[in-house]
Amino acid sequence: MHNGQVKATPVVGLVGNPNSGKSSLFNILTGLRQRIGNFPGVTVEKKAGMLTLPGLPTVELIDFPGAYSCYPTSLDERLVVQELTNPEGDLFPDAILYVADITKLDKHLLLFTQLRDLDLPMILVLNMADLMDADGLTVDIPRLSKELGVPVVPVSSRDHRGITELKAAIAGLLQDPNRHRPRQAFFEPGANTRDVLTELRRELPARNDYHALLLTHHAPWLKHIPDATRHQVQEARVRHGFHSLRSQVEETMERYNTFEPIVRSAVRHAGDTSSRSDRIDNVVTHPIFGPILFIALMLLLFQALFAWASIPMDLIEFTFGSLGQSIRETLPAGWFTDLLVDGIIAGLGGVLVFLPQIAILFFFIAILEEVGYLARAAYLFDSLMQRFGLNGRSVVALISGHACAIPAIMSTRTISNWKERLLTILVTPLTSCSARIPVYVILISFAVPPVVYFNGLISLQGLAFAGLYFLGILAAMLSALAFKVVLQTPERSFLMLELPEYRIPVWRNVGTTVWQKSKTFVLEAGKIIMIISVILWAASTYGPPEDMAAAEAQVTERARTQELSEDEAADLLASERLEASYAGHLGKAIEPVIRPLGYDWKIGIALLTSFAAREVFVGTMATIYSIGSTDDEFRIRERLAEERDPVTNELVYNRATSWSLLIFYVFAMMCMSTLAVTKRETNGWKWPIVQFVFMTAIAYIGAMVVYQSLA
Amino acid sequence: MPFPVPAAASLFEAGQSGTIDRFTNEYLAGKLLDIGVRPGSRLRVVRKSPFGGSWYVKIDRQCLALRKKELACIMVK
Repeated sequence: MHNGQVKATPVVGLVGNPNSGKSSLFNILTGLRQRIGNFPGVTVEKKAGMLTLPGLPTVELIDFPGAYSCYPTSLDERLVVQELTNPEGDLFPDAILYVADITKLDKHLLLFTQLRDLDLPMILVLNMADLMDADGLTVDIPRLSKELGVPVVPVSSRDHRGITELKAAIAGLLQDPNRHRPRQAFFEPGANTRDVLTELRRELPARNDYHALLLTHHAPWLKHIPDATRHQVQEARVRHGFHSLRSQVEETMERYNTFEPIVRSAVRHAGDTSSRSDRIDNVVTHPIFGPILFIALMLLLFQALFAWASIPMDLIEFTFGSLGQSIRETLPAGWFTDLLVDGIIAGLGGVLVFLPQIAILFFFIAILEEVGYLARAAYLFDSLMQRFGLNGRSVVALISGHACAIPAIMSTRTISNWKERLLTILVTPLTSCSARIPVYVILISFAVPPVVYFNGLISLQGLAFAGLYFLGILAAMLSALAFKVVLQTPERSFLMLELPEYRIPVWRNVGTTVWQKSKTFVLEAGKIIMIISVILWAASTYGPPEDMAAAEAQVTERARTQELSEDEAADLLASERLEASYAGHLGKAIEPVIRPLGYDWKIGIALLTSFAAREVFVGTMATIYSIGSTDDEFRIRERLAEERDPVTNELVYNRATSWSLLIFYVFAMMCMSTLAVTKRETNGWKWPIVQFVFMTAIAYIGAMVVYQSLA
Repeated sequence: MPFPVPAAASLFEAGQSGTIDRFTNEYLAGKLLDIGVRPGSRLRVVRKSPFGGSWYVKIDRQCLALRKKELACIMVK
């Protein structure tokens, strides 16, 4: 395996228990040069980044998901075992940075000793070294390094100590992977596994006894084991009475017995470091104050979304407005300028305006995660969630669903019970994700008067905003309950959740999250919006030639007979042309279906495009209403407020229609990416189709009821 | 010591503590061992969750949330 040659792109894996601070370290080592994708074949988020070390080719650093041991219970952990037991795989690391929390070495070394027995070149990284002086914690690094047989580097993601040393250690290990080969295993497979191992050792693609043992344990699900070998393993397991669980328990106990004395001899705790966390938890997880605090936090969040974001939003609106204006003035008039200003800039600007609110939301959720609050929320609501067929961990998905359903759905893989996980996946998109913010903001201003109470502290519109979010949560819970009754599975369900100590957030991590997510939103959503804006611009500018000609003739005729001014004639021409265009035809075609909800054909166009991604709504509106107009294209809100029905001359965006649209957007499944993730996570089209149908049905019925009772 | 003979930790009231003796469910034992809960660890039931059903438990210096079923397989003396 290790022949002293450094590969063209060496792979270094970051491995460690959940909550060991792996991701912080990853952020420090790679900065913003990260690529977020999926591990091949599974939707486990794969974070990879580049690391440059002097005298070495660029190193690919992969952040593996957190795992407790080589006996996985969740999809995340399975992935770690899958990749680390497959020396032929692309992701098999040339070196491992094993990250452990310096205060929890007595627990975090279990996986370390297992990986060590797999003969992987490793460095033990002791994170949170900043606690070493503060809390009277002392660690005998040379002793630890000698006993464990690997380089040990204490680092801190807070004050960046040890990072230079760590980089040097990585370079050293990559150049000479054989220097720290284990001399002695931490664990020797016991007598009752001896027989099965002797038989299988030759058949299995194993590097040593422990590798063979793990393959024997996990052959039934490991992807890189050929079917023939799998059957062989199964037969040998039966023949020799191999009891996987019992063997696991024995191994784990023995490992603790081996490494615990090492930790005890090298680490000294002076005081009880967790007393501060305990005091905080007395309030935060209190049976009464806990839930109250939770609700208060959520209310604060939604108020913040409305209040704090207004200044940057105005700024972006202004910038795009002047940009479009100056392009119109500099470029010659023609179809290209129209496409650029009416199609691309109008569509993009309409969405970028909402970036501040999206950033605030991710900022909030990143802080809750960093501090350690999300685990508490899962504890607080576990039994409540169970009544709805969900798991305490579903709370994490339901909260992050307010930012974006895609990472939220991916976070459900920590739920080991399939039914609880499926229910969480199905109902999470009902929580109001950040893409709904643009739609809510615009429509609420038509649906709710701008009344404020308590000197502007609470606004009626802010309350309505919070109400819509609450409606989404309510719908999610009730749908889960309905699915719980319909689906029956006897599988076992667990909570068994670690409540990490409270920590002041590492601001760098919060910043990285906000930056990454905002960037993804702009790039991913921007791409779709751009394409749809251009298509929409074309579809609403061009139409069947005879219809367009008829529309123009009619306008010329009316302008002459009614003696319209030049501006009036231009406006009339624009609206008649839109109606005669391809988009107009499409909108008219679906008008009968959406009429009961109070929508006209223009809203119909926006609805249709929204099914790709709901944030397209505002961009579509901007494009539709700016076609052919000489006004400032970016004041969509004002344009919509002035829009009147050509027949009845009533305002189109009245209270009934606005509320009906709001309700539709709360419930409807309008995000292709979410459906794609659901498909991948559930391995088939069945559940995404169920999800699409049930959500859109609730949306249609809900919006109809609201419109019919308000109109 | 409230219980001289090993008893299931789910019988504990908030505030009671003991030393883990053994587990009565192998599957749960595997999971508990992985996260660092093992015979010899000190277990203290800190409080019950607001809607019942799960417990805030302190094992050695580690805080965990466990359901009643999960606590029931931990024998404490």
